[in-house]
Amino acid sequence: MLGNGKRDAASAGSRAVQVAFLVGLLLLWYVATNYWGVSHLLLPEPVQVFWQFVDIIKTGEYIDDLKVTLGELATAFAVSCTTGVTLGYLISRSQYLIRVFEPLFAGIYAIPIILFLPLYVLMFGLGPMSKVALGTTISFFPIVLSTIAGFGYVERTYIVSARSMGASEYQLFRYVLLPAALPVILTGMRMGFTVALLSIIGSETIASLAGLGHRIVHLAEGMDMARMFAYIAFVVAIAAILNTVVSSLEAGGRRR
Amino acid sequence: MRRWPAIKRYMLRHPGVARLGVVIVLFVIWEIAARWFIDPLFMSPPSSVLVSLPQMFEISGVPGALRITFWELAVAFAMSVAIGLAVGLAVGLQPFSRRSFMPIVLLLYGTPQVTILPLFILFFGIGPASKIAFGVSHGIFPIIVTIVAGVQNLKPILLTSAKSMGANRWQAFRYVIFPHMIPSFFTGMRLGMTGVLLGVLLAELYVSTAGIGYFTTLFTQNFEPDNLLGLIATLAAMAIILNELVRRAENHFARWRD
Amino acid sequence: MTGEVAIRVRDVSHHFGEEDDARHVRALLDTSIDVARGELLCLIGPSGCGKSTLLNVVGGLLEPTTGTVEVAGKPVRGPMPADIAYVFQENALFPWNTVFENVMLGMLFQGVPKAERDDRARRSLEAVGLAEFSDHYPAQLSGGMRQRAALARALSLETGILLMDEPFGALDEQTRMILGEDLSVLLSRTDKAIVFVTHSLGEAVFLADRVAVFSARPGTIKQVISVDEPHPRNPEFVTSAKFTALRNQLYSLLHDEIRKAMSESAMRGGAGHRGSVAGDSA
Repeated sequence: MLGNGKRDAASAGSRAVQVAFLVGLLLLWYVATNYWGVSHLLLPEPVQVFWQFVDIIKTGEYIDDLKVTLGELATAFAVSCTTGVTLGYLISRSQYLIRVFEPLFAGIYAIPIILFLPLYVLMFGLGPMSKVALGTTISFFPIVLSTIAGFGYVERTYIVSARSMGASEYQLFRYVLLPAALPVILTGMRMGFTVALLSIIGSETIASLAGLGHRIVHLAEGMDMARMFAYIAFVVAIAAILNTVVSSLEAGGRRR
Repeated sequence: MRRWPAIKRYMLRHPGVARLGVVIVLFVIWEIAARWFIDPLFMSPPSSVLVSLPQMFEISGVPGALRITFWELAVAFAMSVAIGLAVGLAVGLQPFSRRSFMPIVLLLYGTPQVTILPLFILFFGIGPASKIAFGVSHGIFPIIVTIVAGVQNLKPILLTSAKSMGANRWQAFRYVIFPHMIPSFFTGMRLGMTGVLLGVLLAELYVSTAGIGYFTTLFTQNFEPDNLLGLIATLAAMAIILNELVRRAENHFARWRD
Repeated sequence: MTGEVAIRVRDVSHHFGEEDDARHVRALLDTSIDVARGELLCLIGPSGCGKSTLLNVVGGLLEPTTGTVEVAGKPVRGPMPADIAYVFQENALFPWNTVFENVMLGMLFQGVPKAERDDRARRSLEAVGLAEFSDHYPAQLSGGMRQRAALARALSLETGILLMDEPFGALDEQTRMILGEDLSVLLSRTDKAIVFVTHSLGEAVFLADRVAVFSARPGTIKQVISVDEPHPRNPEFVTSAKFTALRNQLYSLLHDEIRKAMSESAMRGGAGHRGSVAGDSA
């Protein structure tokens, strides 16, 4: 049994290990590129990367690409949320439909959806449309599955007790089904958002005309390593911000 | 018309049959749409994809690319399992290392690795090495995370009980911690397989000068939907078979968990 | 009683946490008691009185802060699997092993040869009436059957001492009664020394040769009551005047202690201390 003091000491120790690990990694990077002669064509120098990052932010060069990527993401996510929740709710109204469709969706979801990309490129071209299609497809499944799970498996006791108190169909939905299902659906939406973001950046990397993923590939092909690393850091930061926002929205929605 | 109620009752009792029906209906819609409503340059009906499948396999280089992709998947999966298991145990078995390194693992797991896909190609070239490496980078994290969780949620009473019966440290690992970990290990392998498939296929599609990516680009640019769909379907079948193998193994080894 | 001392507890105290820690708890204070071979001693008392702590100290799962425990003439310094077997309150069967494999494992840990393990496992499963369920996994059994299996595992170890920490605590009343009767029959055939922690007055009177009543914090033995009734005990014993009188005596002894413990824990902000090794609930 750890006392209070001992536990604090232990977690401070863990914190120290984490900081040491990250600082060590940065230091290793610095030393390797400055003193051990690792080619800057393979691994750019960290200070240089930092100034490139500052330059990207200062010049606002990122704005056009960011707009393209975020536009694709917003469209894909909006479409998959609308269709996923609607379809999921309709299916969840019948235990029979659940048994027909839930395994079907789960089965399709097990296929790597990234395989659809070449097909979408053929059908919709290299522009944003193919990315939206892929992002929609990939985020549809977690959303529809969680909606089915959320509405379809509400504790019987809640429903029976609401009915026994004379709840109408609307009241049953508003005060029992919705609050019971919401946390599950929000989790599905967060998962859908994450995979949509990943697949859109991924498809921009593979075949595209614009967007953040396209920018990184463009710099890689030009062997402009320092700027490419700065863009990678930029995209990772954007992704982290977006995921944090969505996670806190999810947490806020769960609490209500 | 009097037979309808019987069919309806049969369908109601067998949702699996209805599910098959839904799939068939979808294929029929696809067939009709592709045959009469969509420009054949962009879409093929499933019947014509099926008929032209043998020809697709005769295109020089396609069987080789598929074979290489399969080996990349197998090697990346094996490496992910080995590395993931080792790291998962190293991180998970001790509370201190778990508290210290788990946040780092989760941080890495959470970063979108597709952003560094071009780097993998620059470092490892356009051959199998880069695809395996990228597959491993996607496969190890779910394995590490589930193994750590699996080690962690062991009921303390089981260790206490083993100790009270005289189990030594090795026996406690061999007969308590290890069997307890097996189901989460297999769950991790299933998630790891999903990750490996994503990583390898992303890298394959990215490299347009060799392998699968060369042919998808070629078929797209030449407007050959028959061949493109055939190739995609073959890869999807490969993925389904690999997923199913791991899932069966999971069910088999976790049969006590009910 | 036949006399020969199997467990000797002398002036045992146990503290959780450091002296100056806010969560410092004196779980057990200056407790002494002997348990003879062939005797079943019940420990009963309010929650948090230290009865499970005493059990874990005897079993070597907890080291006493002061005092000594001797088992079979040897001082206890850790688990003594050759002399002491445990039955825990929680389901402590390994879920990945069948009932039979579970029973085999305890003996494997102690290096019992394979053929003998087989034989002993079969016999002990027969004794608890689970022979037909050897190949079932614990998840396929009811709570009562799982505790029977745990008992079979403990019996198969053929130790002189059996420690039972509220073994039937999680079961329903009917199952409890039946298990209690069966246990009484089983025990009448052995000369094990048994320490049995319980919350149930009826269970204590029905099973025990002696009942040690604990006082609230700091926990120690307040009084020991003898139950002079030969084993195996009949179900009729429950309806006898003697049973009722003993039960009432226990109730009046415990009543004040439980009130005292409750008001004390309310004052402590209900901060129950979780600290012992074996999923302690006492």
